[in-house]
Amino acid sequence: MRVKLEKRWIKRLLQLPESGMGYQRVDLRLADGRELKNVLAFNAEEVELPDECADAKIEDIHLQTA
Amino acid sequence: MLKLNSTLQCLLLNQPESGMGYQIVEATTFDNKIKRGIAYNAELLLFDEEARLTLKTTAFARLLNEAKISTGEIKSLHVVTNTASASPAFALRETATSYGKQATPAKDAPIEKTKEKEVFKRFTAYENDHRITSDGKLLPGTYATTEEDAKKAPTGKVAVARYALPNPKPASNVWTIKPWKDTLIQSGIVEPAYGQPGGGVEVLFRDGTHAGTVTGPEKIPDE
Repeated sequence: MRVKLEKRWIKRLLQLPESGMGYQRVDLRLADGRELKNVLAFNAEEVELPDECADAKIEDIHLQTA
Repeated sequence: MLKLNSTLQCLLLNQPESGMGYQIVEATTFDNKIKRGIAYNAELLLFDEEARLTLKTTAFARLLNEAKISTGEIKSLHVVTNTASASPAFALRETATSYGKQATPAKDAPIEKTKEKEVFKRFTAYENDHRITSDGKLLPGTYATTEEDAKKAPTGKVAVARYALPNPKPASNVWTIKPWKDTLIQSGIVEPAYGQPGGGVEVLFRDGTHAGTVTGPEKIPDE
């Protein structure tokens, strides 16, 4: 499901290049220690997460480089 | 490139075309790989990763003559019927490469400089595109397309297919970018991804653009 990002993550993503027009592929680390690879971020403001992670707090985001 | 055997030809002839003279297909190989490609005239199959230049430079009959027969290569074949895959953008991949752009993604292309009065377009599903600042510049690392290529995406849904966008929402907001001369860019061709054919021209503004270079968005039909 789509999850809106906090402002700090929006700011972070806007400092990073896009992966294509209007989107970025990112890796996420959640506060509970789970890591999500190759997550889609749209317009640097929302990410597509598995339903079971929708309420989890994001601890870190960085651009997927693979 | 494969010449389809009579069984596969018969199979394709009983399925609809994806566009005039071609079918977008998914083939299952004997080593159980699923490969996508375009079948021309239900007899010649080119996989997505194969260069299409030969279609322009070599007579169809000769290509058929030289192609390896599909027997022993493909065990099943079906036409892709979802809307995005059957969109006209599939057929435009060749057109995009003919502009002299490299058939590689923009991120892997050499750095070039924009010419005077060159115009670019950016399609997004969002009216509040965060990559465009309030003073009208593109942030570094932002993608767009050429003005010429944008003409081939008259609707938001075609843009999703042509630029292989992962967001299925129609990219119906079109921004116009008029960068200063000598702005650094990388140009390439969008690869198939997310179930979309790609094939459009993509331009990466490595360092972004100057203030006052971006206007819009103009709204185009969703479909």
